[in-house]
Parts: sequence; structure tokens; C-alpha cells
Amino acid sequence: MLIEIIDVLISGLINGSVYALMAVGLTLIYGVSKAFNFAYGSFYSMGGYIAFLLFGTALINHYLLVFCLAIPLLLLFGFFIEKLLVAPLRKRDDWEIKVMMITLGLALFLDNSFQVVFGSRMKSLPPLLEGTFEAGEFILPYQDVAIFILSIGGILLFRWFLNNTRTGMSVRAVAQNPAGAQIVGIPKEFVFAATFAISTVMVGMGGILLAQKYFITPTGGWDILVKAWVITAFGGMGSIKGSLYAAFIVGLLEAFVGWYFGMTWTLIALFAVLLTTLAVRPQGLMGKWG
Amino acid sequence: MEHKRIAILLACIWTIVAILPLFFGSTNFIMHILIMCLIWSVVASCWDLIMGFAGIFSFGQVAFFVIGAYSSAIVSARFGIPPVFAVFIAGGIAAVFGVLVGLPCLKLKGAYIALVTFAVHMILEPVLKGDIGRALGTGGSRGILTIAPMNIFGYTFSSSNPVPYFYLILLVAIICSAIIFLVIKSHWGTAFLALKDSEEFATCLGVSAFKYKLMVFALTSFLTGMIGGFYAHYVSMLSTRMLGIDLFVTLMVILVIGGVGKFPGAIVGAFITIALNEMLSPIGAYRPIILGAMVVVLVLVLPDGIVGLVEKIFSKKKHRFTH
Repeated sequence: MLIEIIDVLISGLINGSVYALMAVGLTLIYGVSKAFNFAYGSFYSMGGYIAFLLFGTALINHYLLVFCLAIPLLLLFGFFIEKLLVAPLRKRDDWEIKVMMITLGLALFLDNSFQVVFGSRMKSLPPLLEGTFEAGEFILPYQDVAIFILSIGGILLFRWFLNNTRTGMSVRAVAQNPAGAQIVGIPKEFVFAATFAISTVMVGMGGILLAQKYFITPTGGWDILVKAWVITAFGGMGSIKGSLYAAFIVGLLEAFVGWYFGMTWTLIALFAVLLTTLAVRPQGLMGKWG
Repeated sequence: MEHKRIAILLACIWTIVAILPLFFGSTNFIMHILIMCLIWSVVASCWDLIMGFAGIFSFGQVAFFVIGAYSSAIVSARFGIPPVFAVFIAGGIAAVFGVLVGLPCLKLKGAYIALVTFAVHMILEPVLKGDIGRALGTGGSRGILTIAPMNIFGYTFSSSNPVPYFYLILLVAIICSAIIFLVIKSHWGTAFLALKDSEEFATCLGVSAFKYKLMVFALTSFLTGMIGGFYAHYVSMLSTRMLGIDLFVTLMVILVIGGVGKFPGAIVGAFITIALNEMLSPIGAYRPIILGAMVVVLVLVLPDGIVGLVEKIFSKKKHRFTH
């Protein structure tokens, strides 16, 4: 019983860490450019499929190489999607709803393209690290540890980027005051595209990391979109610290509810938590309005 | 758009639609598509009312439709209520859900509302498939396979002879569009406009955001749920596949083609989209890809929809004449 609870706890923490990485990406776009990306879940599947494709080529058999190729690819993809689809809408009055619509269309396009190209059968990736850590009945695969370290490392790296690099600081400036940032000469358009690209990398990495434990399916991203969304709203849209805490709470909640009541209840439990939070604190745990 | 022009456009659209069975009445397949066009035109108009006019980013319209369809099927099967009354009960149930969803949304803004309403959509599938749904009689993942056909005063509308049902749905669609038109024309419409432009200012002037937002949630979910009931009694089987993202985006294509907040546009959009969708169905798996690509291209190229485009052409012409 105790071992079981520890197992559930660990699985919650590991899922929570990957959710944190993805939720930070979602909150980043919303916090900086107020755009909401409905195709976020499809980018998640895309990350998984890119890794799957790279493993399919005989030359690549190590994750280090996969990451080296997948990250620039995702970065470029995100950048061009923002420049081509989102940026032209920004000058309209009703651009918020138009961005939601266009990304929803993009999501349908991508999901069904995956279905046509890869088929609807589940795909899986090889584990990041082989072997397990064993202590009596307690078993911890090294793979889980690696996933946890990579996603937390990714968030810390992103934090360092925001606080210490010139681009990172301009991202923060645009988030705080877009007009002011433009006046002092920060290229606003570039920052919008860059944040979109970074968030694409974050969710794509999440896809690569989680696809080892679960599977890649063409429509699997919707679940992730809703989860990332719930976490962002729960933690407060635009607050990175908030979504970090919220991600772990949601990961643990999901693991325990799934273990105790069954998997069908997890989404309902998430929704209940979300509604309660929004009713009591509409701005989320740490968010500010606006 | 001026109210008078909306009324004229509505009258033109419905007259043209009403005479369509003269040409296609003998082809059941085309009549079936036309009935679907009518049903989705109601759903899309309701969505346009809440999103385009009231400015509430509600993404739960398909969920209310499905709630209505399931309620009507269950109510008529379990309690033996004739389908004519069951559809109104279904509308009522959907309206209760609409108000329940609307209540937390009153305190929220923009993307948060989209989240809560879309979460309702996402959560409906596990609920309908799970234990709760099975206890209510949704049939779990199998769905409901037999639903009584619509029956008014002893006359049964069968799907093998769709022309009478077409006129019934047409009547419902005309009534729904008239209600939506009246709402837009009345002080409600003005209140929505004021709330959309600046909620703080409107509330200072005494426009109750609480009242109007809840009303629009209740009204749109009632109409959507009711037409969902009509849908259920027409197709006579339901499953949770309706909750797939495919249908949701189809509805969005309707709004994109028709133009958001350009009211009769949604009806025109429904006819174009559903007909196009049927024409594309032979290509199978590529259809949703084209649908998705179409949304992306149309939002960029035709941001105000067909009605917006027509308006632009007319206003340009007027401009030329005055100079």
C-alpha cells in the first residue's frame, strides 16, 4: 500500500514536471502577446512525431542527437507560424477571437495530417535511459528521473534566459508594457514571434519526453491542451511561478484521482478544481488581471 | 449592419431555401443535406449571437447541442413524452446547463471564458461514456441507437420522406432566426454592444452585465439544445463522436465564412459549409485537412466573411458615387 502510494506520488511528480514545462510555454505566449494558441496540443504531438521520424532514420539512435535536431526544427516552425498566421491578424480589433479561430483550424489541419502520414495507430519512442533503481519493493526507472531532470532543467534554463539575456529581458519588457517597449526600441514583432517559437519548443519537448511513457496519437494533443490550459488558468495566466506550482498540484491530483477513482474521473476532477479556483480567485493562484 | 437590411436579407434567404424542395424534393440525399444545413444554421446563429454580438468567447455550443440531443432522446424514451414536447424539455435542460456554465463566466474575461466553456465540451465525452451517463441512459460508448421519430398530432415524420421534416425544421429555423433578429434589434442588442465595447462604462450607465450575459447564455443554449433535440429525432441515433473536434471546427468554418457578428451571415455560411463538406466527403481522410486549411486561409484572406466582403464592396461603391 505504502509502496503503491509512493509510486503514484512519483508518477504525479514526473507528469507534473512535464506539465510545468508545457504550461510555462502556454502562459508565456499569453502573458507576452495575449494570444491564445489552440494548436498547442498539436505542437505536442508534433514534437513526438518529429522524434519518432528522427529515430526512424538509421543514422540517429541517441536522444542527444534527437534533441539537437528537434529543437531548432520546432523553433523555426513556431517562428514562421507566428509570422505567417498570427502576426497579420494583430492589427485587427477582434484579433483575439481570430487568433483562436486560426489556431483551431491549424490544429485540425495538423492532427489530420499526422493521421494521414503516420496512421492512427499509436507510436512509441524508446526510453531515454535504460535500467531501474531498485530498493526492496520500490522500483524507479532511470527514465523517469531523466524526464524529471530534463523538464525542470528546461524551466530553469528558460528562467535564466528571461533574467539574464538581452532577448529574455526584452520579452519581459514587452509583457509588461508593449507600447513602452516599442518606444525604447525593442522590436516588438520579433519578440512576439520569438516567444511563440520558444513556447513551441517547450511543448514539443514535452511531447518527446512524455511519448516515452505514454504514446503518440494524432489527436492525443487535445488532452494536453486542456491540461496545460487548466494549469495556466489555475496558476494565473501570465504567471510562470504560478503555473509551476499549479502543474505539480495538477500532476499529483491527476495521479491520485486516477489511482483511487479510475482514469475517467481525472478530467472531471481537474475541471472541478479549475471551477472552484476561478470562482474563489478568478485571477488564479498568482495571476494578475489584464 | 442596419436592422432593416438584416430583415430583408433574412427574408430573401428563407424564401430561396423554402423553394429549394421544388427542385430537389425527389432526391432524398440532397434533402438530407439541406436539413443538416438548416440545423447547423441555427446552431451557428446562436453561436454568432453569443460570440459575435455579446462578445462572450463561448466554446461550448456543440456541448449544448449534444446535451439537448441526448436529453431529448432520453426524455422521450424514458418517460414516454412525445418528441414534440421532448425537444422543448431538452432546450430547457440545455438552458439550465447554459446558465450553470454562464455563472462562473460572469466573473471571467476573454480566454478564461473560452477555457471554461471548452472544458465543458471536453468533459462531456467521458461523462456521457462513463458510469454517470450510463445510469442516465446514454448507452455509454455505444451511444443511443434507436430514437423515436418526430410525431406531431399523429403524423410521423420519417427519414425516408424528408420533405415534410425539411419544412418543419425550416419553420423552426425561421422562428429561431426571428428571435435572434428581435434580440439584436431590441435594447438587448444595444446592451450587448455597449457591454462589448466597454463593460465598465456600460455598467456605470446602468446596463446590468449580470442580467444580459446570463440571459444570452440561457437563450442561446435553449435554442441550441432544442435544435439538438430535433436533430436527434431526425437521425434517430446518437453517439459521442459528435463531440470530436471535427464538428466543432466545421461550426467554426461556418462562422468564418459567414462572418463573426454579421448575423444572417452565419446562415449563409452554414449552407455553403455543409454543402461543401458533403462534396468533399468522397476524399475521406483528406477532408478534415482541407477544412482546417480552409479556416486558416479564410481567416487571413476573408476576415469578415462573405457578408463582410459584400458590405465592403457596397460601401466602396457608395463612396465613389458621392465623390
